[in-house]
Amino acid sequence: MRFVLVCLSLLFFAGSLLAQKKIIISGTIEDKATGEKLIGATIKIKELTKSGTTTNNYGFYSLAVPAGNFTLVYSYVGYNTVETPISAAADQVIDIRLDQQKELSEIVIRSNKPNNDNVASPQMGEERLNMAQVNNVPVLLGEKDILKTITLLPGIESAGEGNTGYYVRGGASDQNLILLDEATVYNASHFFGFFSTFNSDAIKDVSIYKGGMPAEYGGRLSSVLDVKMLDGNNKDYTVEGGLGLISSRLKVEGPIVKDKGSFMLSARRTYIDVFLHASSDSTLKGSSLYFYDINAKANYHFDDKNALYVSGYFGKDVLELKSIFGTLWGNSTGTIRFNHIFNNRLFSNTSLVYSNYNYTIEDFQSTNYFKATSQINDVNFKEDLQYSLSNTHTLKFGLNVLHHTIAPGTITTNSTSSFNDVSVEERYGYENAAYLSDEWRLNSRITFLYGFRLSSLFLLGPGTFKTYDAAGNVLSSATYSSGALVKDYFNLEPRFTASYLFSDESSVKASYNRNTQNIHLLNNSTSSSPADLYVMSSNNIKPEIADQVSTGYFRNFSENTYEFSAEVYYKWLQNQIDYKDGAQLIVNPDVESLLTYGSGRAYGVELFLKKKYGKFNGWIGYTLSRTELKFAAINDGNYFPATQDRTNDLSVVGIYQLNERWSFSSDFIYATGNAVTFPTGKYEIGGLTTFSYSERNGYRMPSSNRLDIGATLEGKKHKKYHSSWTFGIYNVYAHRDPYLITFRDSKTVPNTTEAVETSIFATRIPSVTWNFKF
Amino acid sequence: MKRFKFCLVFLAVTLTFAACTKVIDLKLGNDSGKLVIEGNITNLDSPQYIKLSRNVPFTSTNTYPPVSGATVTVSDNKNNIYTFTEGPAGTYSSAQFPGVSGNTYQMTVVTGGTTYKANSVMPALVPFDSITYKKADFKSGNNRREITVHYQDQAGIPNQYRFIMWVNSVEVSAVFAYDDEFSDGRYVDQDLVENTTDIYPGDTVKVEMQCIDKPVYTYWFTLMEQGFGGPDGGVAPSNPPTNITPAVLGYFSAHTTQAKTIIVQ
Repeated sequence: MRFVLVCLSLLFFAGSLLAQKKIIISGTIEDKATGEKLIGATIKIKELTKSGTTTNNYGFYSLAVPAGNFTLVYSYVGYNTVETPISAAADQVIDIRLDQQKELSEIVIRSNKPNNDNVASPQMGEERLNMAQVNNVPVLLGEKDILKTITLLPGIESAGEGNTGYYVRGGASDQNLILLDEATVYNASHFFGFFSTFNSDAIKDVSIYKGGMPAEYGGRLSSVLDVKMLDGNNKDYTVEGGLGLISSRLKVEGPIVKDKGSFMLSARRTYIDVFLHASSDSTLKGSSLYFYDINAKANYHFDDKNALYVSGYFGKDVLELKSIFGTLWGNSTGTIRFNHIFNNRLFSNTSLVYSNYNYTIEDFQSTNYFKATSQINDVNFKEDLQYSLSNTHTLKFGLNVLHHTIAPGTITTNSTSSFNDVSVEERYGYENAAYLSDEWRLNSRITFLYGFRLSSLFLLGPGTFKTYDAAGNVLSSATYSSGALVKDYFNLEPRFTASYLFSDESSVKASYNRNTQNIHLLNNSTSSSPADLYVMSSNNIKPEIADQVSTGYFRNFSENTYEFSAEVYYKWLQNQIDYKDGAQLIVNPDVESLLTYGSGRAYGVELFLKKKYGKFNGWIGYTLSRTELKFAAINDGNYFPATQDRTNDLSVVGIYQLNERWSFSSDFIYATGNAVTFPTGKYEIGGLTTFSYSERNGYRMPSSNRLDIGATLEGKKHKKYHSSWTFGIYNVYAHRDPYLITFRDSKTVPNTTEAVETSIFATRIPSVTWNFKF
Repeated sequence: MKRFKFCLVFLAVTLTFAACTKVIDLKLGNDSGKLVIEGNITNLDSPQYIKLSRNVPFTSTNTYPPVSGATVTVSDNKNNIYTFTEGPAGTYSSAQFPGVSGNTYQMTVVTGGTTYKANSVMPALVPFDSITYKKADFKSGNNRREITVHYQDQAGIPNQYRFIMWVNSVEVSAVFAYDDEFSDGRYVDQDLVENTTDIYPGDTVKVEMQCIDKPVYTYWFTLMEQGFGGPDGGVAPSNPPTNITPAVLGYFSAHTTQAKTIIVQ
């Protein structure tokens, strides 16, 4: 109730700022050839510097202008800019179709004035990936991958070589919210993390927020990765695909009703099994190891004001060791969205979202037979509204009701097995939120983006809920009936960003935001394990809280051809989670007794220089940072570096378009090694050498560095079809990046011990993919 | 569960396209001189042993200085007191006596002006049924074998087990600790999965089975888990939680013991 009052009073306050009668220009911006709605395209008024807006996630924009004659400028990266003169006397709808630039010739570039969004927008801590660039960055085995590409940006670190996990500004990997068409993707990795669940073919737009979090996002501490699928071509049918070393892809798209509705269906299947079948080991020979995923989307525009989008993702990993054991895991998501334009100021989107992650582990041997399953199931209702109050105020507000069902684990066995049937109670809860934000252009120099998000968690029965003391002993236990409230938490999360424009080419921005997290991932085995267990905040686990302040300087050069930014951040973390010694998390009803809680701090500097346009483009990103955690029960209660504490992280990406047919790309990375705990001494227990440890994470893995190169050859132009070849070499100079360091009794010098390093990609790995489109 | 983890790590590391290992030099700290106590009371009617030593830096040879001159006693909840005498240096032994299941044993060690105490309850003996061998899950092409132990878990009470394996009289450098969280009351066939020693036909394999109490199990289980830590997300290794106060390296365990030997074919 209070929230509604606050909203209303804010509306009235903002409404009173309306000094004169404004005319509303609204519409959608789409790709001329495919009808794909363009997200984040810029609309400006040439004559009024402080006016401007961008299209929302559905390509919709709404802009208030004073009466008069103006020139509207529509621009989008990689597209030719369109200028439209208007005579603004009454509200009008202007739909724009932008042409994709066919060639990156110098002439085109000059005629297409690059925009200065990065400088002018009040948003900070946001990175948007251009899918054309993603497709050009060389990657392992030619599997282009947005999760690997984002780790080449400053402030976003890869969790390890050949790992799609990532850390944002010192946060743990479960503190990233990953959304695919608004649905949470709980485990975004395939095949132990070597590949991500995102098939680039099916993706339209990728944004990642690492700070200055917009109020419409919440639920995780560190970042939001917002991935949107392609809508599908509503002009023409197209089929495209690719044949690669380890996978093949196929995508079909086309109109359902021309210009009104379209569909997109994209699938990918790997055949890593062939590596196994080549093995001399009979167990490996008969084993299965593959994954597949399917993205599907359809949309229909009933009229100018109503549109329906239905999209889904389904992915599965299969790993089976012949007659020994097998494991399956995968995500499925589904989203139904309804866009309604109430009037040219008020845009609404209503979503119903489903998300599921589940895994099964099965031991096939008769004497050890068991099958363990676990899953998390979400149903989410969202209402998001966008209101263009005036040319200086744009409001966003909405509600979110998210229901979780978590089945922590069930083990089923048979009569000959060594194991019993076990089942851990399911858990139910609601994560509800409401938000309001306003983008306020105070004058041509100062813009505020401010608002708040009220988040809550309701943990509900049925079930038996226990509280534990620090040692893990049961303090109390209570049984609740179905739907009874066990525990609730409310958090108000302020979000505030201000920007000051010195000129069209430089600005400073500052932000403060609070984020909270009520769903926590427990997994203390290697990150490659799919056995992810999610728990909600409870009597024992408090919501994780992060407060972040950041400030940045943004500067463009050479008519916005070069973008430079420097951002500094500091984060305070509360209620962080770690595990006690010997914690066994799988199918454990008392899993919360195995946790220990602490705090943390993270700070750093990020430098980013990017050339967005031209035959030669790319970027250099550098991060200097520190992340430390503090737990009473660990490291004598002193701060210790988090695993993801990474002092230096450098990425260089270059893409060069030689001519119409050949383009080349290259990336280089250097990163400080993860903080790890190594033995400092040894002793003998039970006749065996045993290692003793001093401080937690007191050592470093060796730093890593790598150079990858790639080339794309476009086929000769045909009327009916198009093909291209992509070549790549991963790890060009065959650097040994350490994956694992273990300690053991020496195999060569008796009576001593040695450290052994394991590398997994210690050689050049070439790849080739053939792509086609017709 | 163990097998699952083992398989994942095995696959991730050895199946990847160009995995390789090498011995490296690392600058490691100089942790040394810390007291290590290893105390065992078994159900065998024999002298019982408690060993005191100190740890050494990682880079030193595997020789551990004994701690001499300590006062070591063990008492039980039946008012028996057993005095331990030193010899050889750092090894303290009692007169011959058998530990009894159900008794609580308390170890008291006085050295360097500090008194260290630990309690351990000797669990009931669960009979060691048998050991068998079979083709190993991996690398079985060259006749590699895997050992399985068999026993009937006692229903209704928590049981914890530790196994020690010797291949041709050389102790296998691996920890095997299991409980009955998922197998209470079952006839258990437990594969002793390890990757340090390959077993082939002709080898003589001896396995000792210990029934241990819960704190001692946590000690061994923690050590066992650390054998499979990864570089990211794996459990950060630490000294396993000891049942000795004030905390030292090591443990005090009252356990039953049985052993079986098999010649692998």
